[in-house]
Amino acid sequence: MAEITLIEAVTQALAYEIAHDPSVVVLGEDVGVNGGVFRATAGLHARFGSERVIDTPLDETSIAGLAVGMAFQGMKPVAEAQFDGFIYPMMDHIICHAARMRTRTRGRLHCPMVLRAPWGGGIRAPEHHSEAPEALFAHIPGLRVVIPSSPARAYGLLLAAIRDPDPVIFFEPKRIYRQYKEDVPDDGEALPLDVCFVLRDGADVTLVTWGAHVKETLETADALAREGISAEVIDVATVKPLDFDTIHESVKKTGRCVIVHEAARTGGIGAEIAAQLAEKAMFDLVAPIERVTGYDTPMPLFRLEMKYLPSVERILAAAKRTLAYR
Amino acid sequence: MKTVASFTIGYRQVLDPDGRIVDALPEFARDPAVLVDLYQRMSFTRVFDGKAVALQRTGKLGTYASCLGHEAAHIAIGMAMQPEDVFCPMYREYGAQFVRGVKPRHVLMYWGGDERGNDFTGPKHDLPWCVPIATQCLHAAGAALAFKLRHEPRVAVSVVGDGGSSKTDFYAAINSAGAYTLPYVGVIVNNQWAISVPRSAQTGAETLAQKGLAGGLACVQVDGNDVIAMLAVMQEAIARARRGEGGTVVEAVTYRLSDHTTADDARRYRPDDEVKHAWAREPLKRLRTYLEALDVWNEAKEQAWKEQCGRDVDIEVNAYLETRSQPIESIFDHLYAEAPHDIAAQRAQAIALEGRRHG
Amino acid sequence: MSTDKDFLLPDLGEGLPDAEIVEWLVKEGDQVLLDQPLVSMETAKAVVEVPSPFSGTVVKLHGQAGDVIDTGAALATFAVDPSLPQRAEAEDTGHHHAPKPKVAPQPPSAPPTVTTSAPADRADAGTVVGAMQASNEVKHEAVIAIGGIKAMPAVRAAAKKLGIDLTRVRPSGPDGVITMQDVKQAAANPSALATDATVSPTRTSAVPAAVSTPPLPRTSGERAGVRGDPYVADPRSLAGKPVRTTPPTVQASGQPEPIRGVRRNMARIMAEAHAQVVPTMLCDDADLHAWTPGNDITARLVRAIVVACKAEPALNAWFDMANSTRTLHARVDVGIAVDTPDGLFVPALRNADMLDARMIREGVNRLRAQVEDRSIAADELKGYTISLSNFGMYAGRYATPVIVPPCVAIIAAGKGRHQLVPVMGGIETHKVLPLSLTFDHRAATGGEAARFLRAMLDDLARAN
Repeated sequence: MAEITLIEAVTQALAYEIAHDPSVVVLGEDVGVNGGVFRATAGLHARFGSERVIDTPLDETSIAGLAVGMAFQGMKPVAEAQFDGFIYPMMDHIICHAARMRTRTRGRLHCPMVLRAPWGGGIRAPEHHSEAPEALFAHIPGLRVVIPSSPARAYGLLLAAIRDPDPVIFFEPKRIYRQYKEDVPDDGEALPLDVCFVLRDGADVTLVTWGAHVKETLETADALAREGISAEVIDVATVKPLDFDTIHESVKKTGRCVIVHEAARTGGIGAEIAAQLAEKAMFDLVAPIERVTGYDTPMPLFRLEMKYLPSVERILAAAKRTLAYR
Repeated sequence: MKTVASFTIGYRQVLDPDGRIVDALPEFARDPAVLVDLYQRMSFTRVFDGKAVALQRTGKLGTYASCLGHEAAHIAIGMAMQPEDVFCPMYREYGAQFVRGVKPRHVLMYWGGDERGNDFTGPKHDLPWCVPIATQCLHAAGAALAFKLRHEPRVAVSVVGDGGSSKTDFYAAINSAGAYTLPYVGVIVNNQWAISVPRSAQTGAETLAQKGLAGGLACVQVDGNDVIAMLAVMQEAIARARRGEGGTVVEAVTYRLSDHTTADDARRYRPDDEVKHAWAREPLKRLRTYLEALDVWNEAKEQAWKEQCGRDVDIEVNAYLETRSQPIESIFDHLYAEAPHDIAAQRAQAIALEGRRHG
Repeated sequence: MSTDKDFLLPDLGEGLPDAEIVEWLVKEGDQVLLDQPLVSMETAKAVVEVPSPFSGTVVKLHGQAGDVIDTGAALATFAVDPSLPQRAEAEDTGHHHAPKPKVAPQPPSAPPTVTTSAPADRADAGTVVGAMQASNEVKHEAVIAIGGIKAMPAVRAAAKKLGIDLTRVRPSGPDGVITMQDVKQAAANPSALATDATVSPTRTSAVPAAVSTPPLPRTSGERAGVRGDPYVADPRSLAGKPVRTTPPTVQASGQPEPIRGVRRNMARIMAEAHAQVVPTMLCDDADLHAWTPGNDITARLVRAIVVACKAEPALNAWFDMANSTRTLHARVDVGIAVDTPDGLFVPALRNADMLDARMIREGVNRLRAQVEDRSIAADELKGYTISLSNFGMYAGRYATPVIVPPCVAIIAAGKGRHQLVPVMGGIETHKVLPLSLTFDHRAATGGEAARFLRAMLDDLARAN
């Protein structure tokens, strides 16, 4: 049994793909000898060498631009943004080039790259290290945005992301990088992109979330179960393109939906889900849609970060509000 | 205080504005046929450019970025490259692209609002035009990194303007090329104007070529209106890169004789005298003077060639004008390798709307 | 006066889960001063000297050299002497881990949590900032049961992506669980899918789950899922809906019954048809806007079929693969699908090409009546050259009607409806009738089928 943490699952997936596909290279700051600041690339440099695991100069623009340029020439770069908060200089290359080269050239060129970044809060890190910018990328046509929530999904979805012929933004919830282990066989089996994972079957309320907050959301479902309330828990996993069907199927059953995300509320993915519910599921709903999200403020420094992030208490209260409608 | 490092920037000119040879002729330039070919390609590009502007002025083309005055620099870049090399242009290097097999109709399709212009003939690995300034420099460096990692003897060439050389991405490309010793040639086509901002306002550096020093690249400034010097410099830079000896920054000094684009009016910000002076140094006239002195060109040949160019360009213009617009679903069809469910749904929606309009 | 205080091991690095005691620099009973060297600890990254956080007496040392102390667990207990210099009470910066689950509920006075794993086994906490939660807890994601279908979340996601209906997949996992392999096999070989949507629950029921396999591993975070939820005493949800906590059983889904007679015949014929025919579908809507009152839909459909058969005889044919022949019919005998509680009958409306509207109506009425009272002759149930299913009298827009060999085409009419039609100068409401044509692509070309459908649409568009 290979029982490994989420971060080890990332390493395992990278190693598998580097070993099996000669066009895959890993590049980023400190990804080489040091194995990445979170050790996502631990051991890869020693195993595969400097031509497959590439330390870059300390410039995020360079990492993005080089990866895009390599991908246009048929390589499959897996670039690392060292932290979510450092990803913003990369967006020009991702938005203006990676996301649209296939469209611009009518399929002549495309961009089979992955941009990995540790994502989200909750590790009491310094400023600019705890951001959740998934909605910024989800808004961009031509991208996929994937956020795993368990070691097995980190492995399977990262393999799928690397194998996908289009650019994928792969956000890794760093709060649960090492929180627990799971049996993840190194069998090279990818998991499907573009679909939700239903983690818990329930009949009374649908709880929708992704990333590290799958943990708090499952705990909320446990708390509800103790009161005889059955909550369905959906891990969105691929936030772009959004598998709304699975959410809709669940809401048809439960009539209630609580969306949980740690990113700021306005314009978040929760807003998109709520909008689609309003468009397509209005008559399946028996209660107003609830969103439990980060506040519309910058992520506070770490003394207050756990009060910023949605807690079990907040999710539970939102679920109870929906359950007040019979 | 000791000097820990010192640098010089060389300047290369072979053919002066009056058509006189002022430096040793490179080997290739000893064959008049080669020079006639270069002249003819420059002349063709100029005929095309004039036609494109005329199309825009008559409502048959969208905004167009003219290459008037850049012909020597662009043709030399194209001539120095091999098909397997990758070219990462900005958006007015038509001369270089024609050499590489891009058809004028594709240039017109791009500026005429049709993405199929970017699916051009010529090397399939060449990048399309790049409007976000200087980002293509890093894509060229990335391509060069791919070539190096795959041990392929290929070179990546990017073009940026004097304004673009102020951008982060340009510096980042130079830095990466130096850090990895990449087969990369970064050409700065310094045409003195970034829309309305003059070269003097871009940087305090004496030359733009010297920007390459910071990344550890070879640096050279060249008379970008002298196709002989320009081609010699490009050939040397590309050969050096192909040998694995590293990258070069080439500053080609030229002048934008046109407006920035057809939507711009350069008279608002630059003096007529300066433009008049620049016309005296433009690239075609000096080479024609030299070719006529060699007695390999004359007025009759000039007229015949221009007529030939006019006919050839007209064929391309007609091919462009006859290209029907793509159906609406084309905007979805190449977004992803395989349309995800949401895109498939939007595509169907868009097609349905079209049906109603025509029904 | 003194107060006992525990000194909990802080995160000595960045996100480190524990540290090993190298050497105590004090012993129990010693008087220590604030910031006096207390203990030497080895982390995954370095050996560090840890100072005393209090002034007072060392009451207890929670471990000895070589022991590994979890971050956040008690390292030493002090009797604090308030007369000596003490550090101001600071707000916790949070730079230690939550204690591991097994120590979480323990009060500060509980025995120390000491593990003696070798240093080599320790995880590299691996972060340059912050404090990472780390643990060796192993979780297993639960199989979830929805509508009697049991599968892991990843298997459900894969089925969704591949468009596989899990109700039709044969489960091979323990306790009736559908595995990833099952889904992949179903995707690779769709014909292996069960045709009856109830297969999964009944298959599950064939093996009493309680005795066949050991229960799935569970963790605290896992809902009991397939075996009933210990939290749910009343199998009713808050919304008042019944909550099933066990897989469906024979009792829950009814007893299997043998299929007989007409229904059995239907099953046989349909299975044969499915095995032989290469069905290809065309659908379109007939515009009935021009119809004058008094038109009979069935009669018009039969007439349109007759007209289309004249226009494109290839669909009014029998096909014999074994002998490599096809027979184009001069006459048109239309098989009329009649649904009964016992199953499907298809009596033939003979010589439809010779009948007018009234005669068609009378013929169809007679056949229906004879089917219903079972007086119809066996001869009348065969030998038609093409067939019509008018299921739209109940519901449904388009369908995938099944051709019964040797015929090569069947037309199905869905439920008529009104729809907005853009016309020159505006929008009109037209009555339309959805048509589904299945033809056997072994016997006819797409062009023949399309022209056949066109001829039907044109005829149906006529006023009468």
